[in-house]
Amino acid sequence: PDAPRCLSDLIETFRAQLRDDPDVASAVAAIRALLGFLKQDRGETIQGLRNSLRDAIDTLSRVDSSVAVSSGGELFLRFISLTSLEYSDYSKCKEIMIERGEIFLTKVSLSRNKIAKLCHPFIRDGARILTHAYSRVVLRVLEAAVEAKKRFSVYVTESQPDEAGQKMAKALRKLNIPVTVILDAAVGYIMEKVDLVLVGAEGVVESGGIINKIGTNQIAVCAKAQNKPFYVVAESFKFVRLFPLNQQDVPDRFKYKADTLKTSQNLKEEHPWIDYTSPSLITLLFTDLGVLTPSAVSDELIKLYL
Amino acid sequence: GELMDLIRTEGQRMTAAQPSETTVGNMVRRVLKVIREEYGRLHGRSEESDQQESLHKLLTSGGLSEDFRTPYPSLRANVIEAINEMLIELEGTTDNIAMQALEHIHSNEVIMTIGYSRTVEAFLKEAARKRKFQVIVAECAPFCQGHEMAVRLSKEGIETTVMSDAAIFAVMSRVNKVIIGTKTILANGALIAVSGTHTLALAAKHHSTPLIVCAPMFKLSPQFPNEEDSFHKFVSPQEVLPFTEGEILAKINVHCPVFDYVPPELITLFISNIGGNAPSYIYRLMSELYHPDDYEL
Repeated sequence: PDAPRCLSDLIETFRAQLRDDPDVASAVAAIRALLGFLKQDRGETIQGLRNSLRDAIDTLSRVDSSVAVSSGGELFLRFISLTSLEYSDYSKCKEIMIERGEIFLTKVSLSRNKIAKLCHPFIRDGARILTHAYSRVVLRVLEAAVEAKKRFSVYVTESQPDEAGQKMAKALRKLNIPVTVILDAAVGYIMEKVDLVLVGAEGVVESGGIINKIGTNQIAVCAKAQNKPFYVVAESFKFVRLFPLNQQDVPDRFKYKADTLKTSQNLKEEHPWIDYTSPSLITLLFTDLGVLTPSAVSDELIKLYL
Repeated sequence: GELMDLIRTEGQRMTAAQPSETTVGNMVRRVLKVIREEYGRLHGRSEESDQQESLHKLLTSGGLSEDFRTPYPSLRANVIEAINEMLIELEGTTDNIAMQALEHIHSNEVIMTIGYSRTVEAFLKEAARKRKFQVIVAECAPFCQGHEMAVRLSKEGIETTVMSDAAIFAVMSRVNKVIIGTKTILANGALIAVSGTHTLALAAKHHSTPLIVCAPMFKLSPQFPNEEDSFHKFVSPQEVLPFTEGEILAKINVHCPVFDYVPPELITLFISNIGGNAPSYIYRLMSELYHPDDYEL
């Protein structure tokens, strides 16, 4: 009787977070909801806690099947395991977990600003930037560049099927940045005019490649062909323990939205929402752990999970 | 805390005076890291080898960064001792690099280099003691330091040829290895080296010739090549077009850049005093030498 009620509360908190603060990353909202779930969990053992948390993460992924929620959940679970190794007394352990969870959330909310500070020196005066779909981190970086009195112009891809590019263009116009929305198909055409490409990421995989909105791989290949730098901005909680070798290796549960997974008859007829960009096409990754080359990403992941 | 601020302000003044001499900034950062380490050791922290931000630290640390305010009387002596160790290491770097020469140079090879680098000179001299090989030196106009390099090498009995920079591509098909020195190594594994090195690197890549860079670790700088012209140094165009050609000078712009940027994809191996490394590994070496808070002096 207790369990289902807690889970539906969890879903409600998650949805409420996303509603109230549209700027928050979905992974952060997930972690906050999980922390709330942890606080009112009635279990007595670590094992029980871990099981109920795993159920909670599953429910959340059924609501929002993006990579970010999954990586946020994995990170939280890892966080619980690491903390539980240090303290054997369960109640003390739980107190420490809650305290550290709050600190973790504060640190994570500062991560976007850290990234913006690292990235904006790479935008020169008069630069022409190409970006893809709607990314809050890229928006923050461009905001920081404007504050640093740089002048630049932005091309945004329209990013069908949800026209996220238009949303990005609207936000950029509010910042008084000259913006042009281009068709997804026009990327090859526009690449010669562009100085650098800046995209966000939904997930960063172990090889140093990224998982992002469909169309990112195309842009990366065009950028490589014309020798333009391809920069990725992502917070560190997006690092995920996948190692796809090609597009097919990305699990289906990330490629399609949660509702599609539940209702569709034949997944082969659905259009995927994300694609995988390999690390050889990426120049640099800007994260709150610093500026990393793609080879440094796996090092970071190993440090965490080993 | 106060000590670090003092050193930091001095460091900023020195780097502002001559931005192209990155080694000054590098040394200041090394000293700051030494101070942090000694302080940490005295503070009773266990030997945490990573002071870096990492996902792991994000999850397990109890609080935000530590402050350096508690005074320790023995801190001063420890720091001075550590700095002396560092000085000894610095003095031995050229020898360390030269010791690795025999592994990389084989008999009857044709080696190409550009300009004049003390490190490469020591490297080649050490190899010449046991092996017989030929060296082609690109003269590196307009300063023509290649000539001096060739004179020194031939004094050691190494068969040397000097050629102009324009002939680099033409001769490259006969070359087995390219060994060069550099001014600075950037954080992404790229180089800032004398003008003409990029041409050499591109020619080597085209012929699939390995490009080996001999540079001591103090040249590794935690900067990224963010602004295309931020690292350039220009000198008087006298070398390119002498002032006697006054009529022409009035009508044209003459530039004489000293440095070149070489991207990491063109480099095969870095040989430094701590051994050989691939360019993609540079980020790891950086974390051993410097603390991330010090990247921006």
